[in-house]
Amino acid sequence: MLLRLLDTKIPKKTKKIPYSSLTYCENKKKKKGGTIMKRLVCLYSLTAFLVLCILGAPSYSQKTAKGPYVIGGIFPLTGYLSWLGEYKKKGSELKAELINEAGGVDRTPLKLVVYDDQSSPEQAAKIAQRLISKDGAVFLIGTASVPISGAVASIANKEKVPAIIGSGYEVDPKKDKYVFNTAHKTDFAIARPFEYFKKSGMTKVALLMPIGSLGELGSRLARKYAPSYGITIVGEEKFDIKAPDVTAQLAKLKTLNPSAIFSFCTGEPAALVARNMAQLGMKIPLLVSHGNANPGFLRLIKDIDVPILVPSGRATLPNELPDSDPCKKVIIEFSKRHEQKYGEPANYYSAEMVDAVAIIAEVIKRTGSREGEKLVKGIENLKNFVGMQGVYKFSEDDHHGTALEDMMVLTIKDGKWRLLHR
Amino acid sequence: MSDFSYLVQFFFSGLTSGSIYALIAVSLVIVYRASQLICFSQGEFYVFGALIMASLLMKGIPLLAAFLLSLLSSVIMAGFIQYIVIRRLLKKPIGMLIVMTIAISLALRGFALLIWGRESYVVRPFFQVAPLSFVGATLPSQVFLIMGVTALVLLCLWLFFEKTLIGLAMRACAENPDAASLMGINVHRMSLFAWMWGGAIGAISGMVVAPLLFTQYTSGIMPMVKGFIAMSIGGLTGISGAALGGFLLGLTEAFTIGLVSSRFSDAIVFTILIIVLIFKPSGLFARSQ
Amino acid sequence: MNIRRILTNPYLILCLSVLIAPFVFADKSAYVTGVLIFCAIYTILTIGLDLLMGYTGQISVGHASFFAIGAYVSAILTTRYGLSPLGAMASGMVLSGILSWAIGRPVLALKEYYLAMATLAFNEIVISLIIGLEGLTGGASGIRDIPPFAIFGVSFKHHLLYYYLVWLITIFVIVLSRAIVNSPAGRALSAIHGDEIGARAFGIDCTKYKTGIFVIVNVLASLAGSLYAHFIGFIAPDDFQVGTSVSLLVMLYLGGIGTIWGPVIGACFLKILPEITYHFQDYELLVNGLILVFVLIFLPEGLYGTLKKITKRAEG
Repeated sequence: MLLRLLDTKIPKKTKKIPYSSLTYCENKKKKKGGTIMKRLVCLYSLTAFLVLCILGAPSYSQKTAKGPYVIGGIFPLTGYLSWLGEYKKKGSELKAELINEAGGVDRTPLKLVVYDDQSSPEQAAKIAQRLISKDGAVFLIGTASVPISGAVASIANKEKVPAIIGSGYEVDPKKDKYVFNTAHKTDFAIARPFEYFKKSGMTKVALLMPIGSLGELGSRLARKYAPSYGITIVGEEKFDIKAPDVTAQLAKLKTLNPSAIFSFCTGEPAALVARNMAQLGMKIPLLVSHGNANPGFLRLIKDIDVPILVPSGRATLPNELPDSDPCKKVIIEFSKRHEQKYGEPANYYSAEMVDAVAIIAEVIKRTGSREGEKLVKGIENLKNFVGMQGVYKFSEDDHHGTALEDMMVLTIKDGKWRLLHR
Repeated sequence: MSDFSYLVQFFFSGLTSGSIYALIAVSLVIVYRASQLICFSQGEFYVFGALIMASLLMKGIPLLAAFLLSLLSSVIMAGFIQYIVIRRLLKKPIGMLIVMTIAISLALRGFALLIWGRESYVVRPFFQVAPLSFVGATLPSQVFLIMGVTALVLLCLWLFFEKTLIGLAMRACAENPDAASLMGINVHRMSLFAWMWGGAIGAISGMVVAPLLFTQYTSGIMPMVKGFIAMSIGGLTGISGAALGGFLLGLTEAFTIGLVSSRFSDAIVFTILIIVLIFKPSGLFARSQ
Repeated sequence: MNIRRILTNPYLILCLSVLIAPFVFADKSAYVTGVLIFCAIYTILTIGLDLLMGYTGQISVGHASFFAIGAYVSAILTTRYGLSPLGAMASGMVLSGILSWAIGRPVLALKEYYLAMATLAFNEIVISLIIGLEGLTGGASGIRDIPPFAIFGVSFKHHLLYYYLVWLITIFVIVLSRAIVNSPAGRALSAIHGDEIGARAFGIDCTKYKTGIFVIVNVLASLAGSLYAHFIGFIAPDDFQVGTSVSLLVMLYLGGIGTIWGPVIGACFLKILPEITYHFQDYELLVNGLILVFVLIFLPEGLYGTLKKITKRAEG
C-alpha cells in the first residue's frame, strides 16, 4: 500500500491518472487484468506450439508402401560406451551409403536414422520406440552392452520389429523371436582362446573380472568351458571398471601361480589390467574380450610389455585369411573404403554393424516385405550369407549364425595385430 | 608372492588410488573454503587439464611447456565461466549454485566431446623411473610425484590462506560475503580468484594423475565422486583432513578388496563411510571450530 | 468467478493436458504416451524429493535408491514368484517404508553436506548389492520380461490405458503432497527447514517428522519404481545410479524447489528436452548443458516460479 502511494508521486510514470491512490489502483488492476489475459493467451499458444514441434514434428510417415527403407540405429554416442558406439555408427553408415550407391534395394534406398542411447538402457528403450513409432523403422540395429540389448529386445519383441544387435547378449530365439545378433557368441570368444591355452600347455587360468554384465558373462562361460579344454580356474577376483588400480587383486591372483589371466573387459579397464600386470612383473598372457579388436585399443596398450590375447572375428586381420575364404574379399573391399573415408581400417564393431545392414538389405530384397514376421522368417532362411564376421547360417534355433571357426586369436607385436591361433 | 608381500601390495595399491583421491579432495576443499560452494564442475577442469596436456604432448611439445600451457588454459577457462555465469548467481541460495555447477559440468563435457572425440588418450609418466620394488610389491613412481604435488599444494595453500592478505580476504568472503563487502573486500573479485584457483588445482590434479589412468571426455566423473567421499571422511574444514581422507579411502578400498571381497568392496566401503558419518559427523580429522 | 483464476489453475491445466495429449498425435501415440509416462514417473520422484529437500530441508543425493528398490522388488516378485503386479508393488512400498524408517533415524541426524554424502553412499550401496547379488537380481545384465501392470486381473498392457493410470496416480500424489504441505504437519516441516533447534524449542519432535517424511517420500519413490519396471518390461542397475539421483536434483531446481508444481514442470521439461535436442546429434550433450545453464541464469526462480510471476502480480 505504501509503495503504491510512493509510486504515484513520480509524475513521469503516470499519465492522465488521478492521484488518488484508490482509483490509481483500480485502473492499474484493470490494466493488469488486460495484460495478464494477453500474456496467458500468448503463453498457452507458445506452449502448444512448442509441444507440437517437439512431439509432433513432421517425420517419416511410418510403414508406407513407398519411400526408403528406414533402419533405426541405436548407438551409444555419449557415456562410457561412446568410444565403441562411434565405430558402430561409422561402419553402418558407410555400408548403407555403399548399398545406396549401388542402387539400393531394388532401386529403393536405405535410410539409416541414428540416435544416441547415452549408454543407458532406459534411453535405448525410448529411442527404439521413437524409431519405430515416429521414424517408421523397419529394422533396428545397434546396442552395445548386454543390458541395453535387453531393453531394446523387449521393445523389438513387443512391437514385432526385428532387431539385429551386436553385443554379448545371447539370443534365445524362443524368448527373443525378433532379435538377431551379429556378434559372435561369447562362448566362441572364450572357447577359441581356451583351445590355444590347451595347445600351449597353459592349464591354470585366473579370472580377473569387471563388475558388470561382461564380467558375469565371462566368469560363467569360462567356468563352463574350462573342463573341456583341461583348464583349471584357479581363482577369481572382481574389479570396478572405474578403479584406478587393480594391483591388489592381481597380487592375490599371483599367489595362485596362474599360467594366464583372463579378464573379460573392453577398452580402458583391459589396458589398465595389462599395465598393472606389467608393473607387477607378471609377464604371463592376458586374455581380454573380443571387443578390443579395434585400433583404439592398440593405442591404449602401446608400450605395455605384457603378451595380450584378443579374440577377433575375421575383419581385423583379413590378410591372414586364405584366399579361398569367401569373407576375405568382402572384408578387404570394405576396409579399403572405410580407410578412405575415416582414416582407419574397419574393426570388429564396424564388421558387426556392416553385416547387420547387409543382412537387412538382403532379406528385404528376398522377401519384398516390410512386415516384421516375414522379415524374421527371411533371416532364419539365410543359410549361406557371406559377411565380414563369417558366413552366416541362421535358423529357427540360431539367431547368431556364426560359428567357432569364424573366430581367431590375435596378439599384438610392435603395435600391430598378429595372428596367434586360428 | 609371499603373504607379507601381497599385504604390502595392498598397501601400495591403496597408496596409488589414495594419492589420486587425496589430490582431488584437496582441490574440492579449496574451492569450498574459498567460496562455500561444492563445485561439481571441478571434474571437468581435471579432464580439460589432462586432455589439453595430452594433445600438446602428442604434438611434440615438451613436458614442462605442455604442463604450463594447459594450466594457463584451465585457469582462463575457469575465470571465464565465473565471469559469465557464476557472478550473476552469487546472491542465490546455495542449492541453485550447486545445480548450476552441475549444468556447467554437462556443458563442459559436451564441449570436450566435440574437441577430443570419444577416444581415450594415454599420457606417459613424467619421469621414466622404474617402479619402486619392495619385497616383491611394486609402486609406480608417478605416485611419489602425486604425493609430492599434493604436499606442495597443501603448503602453498596454507601459506596463502593463513599468511597473505588476499587469502584472508577470500576466507572472509566465503564465511560471510555481506560482512566482507562491508569491509571493502570486492566479493566478485574474490569469487573470481577462488574459481581460478579451483581451475588451476583441478588442472594440476588432472595432469599429474593422467599417467596412471586414461583420459577421455567422461573421465571427470569418477574422481569427483571419490573426492567428495574423501572430503566427508576427512572433514570439510581442514584441507589436510581432506588429503588424509583421500589416502584413508584408497587404503580402505585396497584392503577391503584384498582381505575381504572384491565383489562387494563398494558396498562395504560405503557402509563404513555411512557409519563414520553417523558417529563422527564432521569427519575424522575435523578441527572443532 | 475470476476467469484468470480458472485459466491458471494448475490442476485444471494438468488434467486437460493429460487428457488431450495422446489424441493430438494420434498416429504416433504409442511413442508420445511413452515419453509422457516417463514424465509422470519422474514427476512422482521429483515431487518426493521436493517434499524432502524443498520443505524439510534435508538434502538427498541418493533418491534413486528407493526408485531402484521399488523397481527390483516388483520385477523379482512378478517374474520369479508370479506375484501379481499390485501385490509386488505393495510389497515394494512396504519394504521401502521399513528400510527408510530403519536407516532414516540415524542418517537424518546428519546435517547438509554430510547428509548428502550419506545418501549418495546409500545409493552406491544399493547398486553394489544389486550387481553383487547376481542370483537374485540378474546382476548387471538386469531382469527381463517383466509383465505389464495389472490390477485384479485387469491388464494395463495397452499404452493408453497405462498412460492414464500413471497420470491418475501422479495427480493423486500431487494432491497428497499439497495436502501434507498445507497441513499442520507441513508447517512443522517448514519449521524444521528454517531452524531445527528453534523448532525443537517449540516442542516439535524433529526426528519424528523428518523420519516420517523420509518414509513417505521413499514409499512414493518405490511406487514410481514399480510403475517404471512394469512399463519398460526390463530393468538394469545402470539407470538407478547416482547420475539419476543427480538428474532428479537438476529437475527439482529447474522446475522450482519448494513448490509442488515446480517438480512437475521440471521433470517434464527435462524428460521432453531430448526430444528437441536429439536433432543436434554430436552437439546434443553440449546443447543440453547450455540450455540448463541459461534457464538457471535467467530464470532463477525455476520454470514454475517464473510462470507464476508472469501470470500473477503482487496484489497491492
